[in-house]
Amino acid sequence: MSSPFDQMLIESDVEQLEQADLSLLETLDHVLNRGLVIAGEITISVADIDLIFVGLNILVSSVETANEVVRNRK
Amino acid sequence: MKLYVYCLAEKLGGLPSIHAAPVLGISGAQVDLLKVEDFALLVSEFDGDSAPSVTRDNALAHAAVVASVLNETTPLPFRFGTVVAEDQLRSYVTARREALKAKLDQVRGCVEMSVKIISGSDQADVPQLNEMDEQGPGARFLNEKRRQILGSERRSEDAKQVAAWLKEQVGTYVQQEEVSLSQTEKLMVAAAHLVAREQVAKYRDQLTMARKMRPELHFLVSGPWPPYTFSNIELEFKTRFGVS
Repeated sequence: MSSPFDQMLIESDVEQLEQADLSLLETLDHVLNRGLVIAGEITISVADIDLIFVGLNILVSSVETANEVVRNRK
Repeated sequence: MKLYVYCLAEKLGGLPSIHAAPVLGISGAQVDLLKVEDFALLVSEFDGDSAPSVTRDNALAHAAVVASVLNETTPLPFRFGTVVAEDQLRSYVTARREALKAKLDQVRGCVEMSVKIISGSDQADVPQLNEMDEQGPGARFLNEKRRQILGSERRSEDAKQVAAWLKEQVGTYVQQEEVSLSQTEKLMVAAAHLVAREQVAKYRDQLTMARKMRPELHFLVSGPWPPYTFSNIELEFKTRFGVS
């Protein structure tokens, strides 16, 4: 499944994109779409004792967000 | 006060710097070293409960902090926007200690290289059905659907072949890979390769030679990156504990 940034690449004329644009898109693709995720608030209870608790924080990036970031650069 | 988390590493001699100047984090915040279990985490204080805005400066600041560690060791990067309380972060690391250690073992001494292969042709090679003009609207609709399906199958097959060809070319230098085959008209293959640091030059040379063999394709190659694509431990955690 391609990311929003992949979609931006394929919708652009690759030959016309500046190296800086490509670098920024690649950076966004990595930092926004990948990496360790503390994904969800989990409480596992056994006999009413909470054994594991993990904080919730999920970031959703969108094509609009990606577009906005690149537009702001220009 | 919450913490913004950049990455986790085995051991760090100290805070990373670029040209002797300390690396600044999101919104210019000071980056601190937090030790949990056997790990070192790079964090900065973050005022607010929600994730920071996705801006160019914030994204680049996150990337710069993680990349600054790469000179010393291979970290596991957190995804942009990870904001947690310190006790939550400690619980997360403690609960996943073994999975994190295993993941660090996998990426030790390696970096990530990214390759995207884009079809050079503007038009997908979709079969044209000449008889379409002679048919009614229903038959034309069905023929068009058939044409789309055939085109999609052909693109998928082409993408598989290109992915196999890429693996054949650079596989010697790749320790682990994540490949996604796209069925869009242009993007054929998006691959992330985990490559030992000392093999990166040879990997690049091999890729340069391979590109010359396929002038009909566009290659977007970037790296070395911290192993963003190879850092997710959720699968291992789910397998081990039966939860996600």
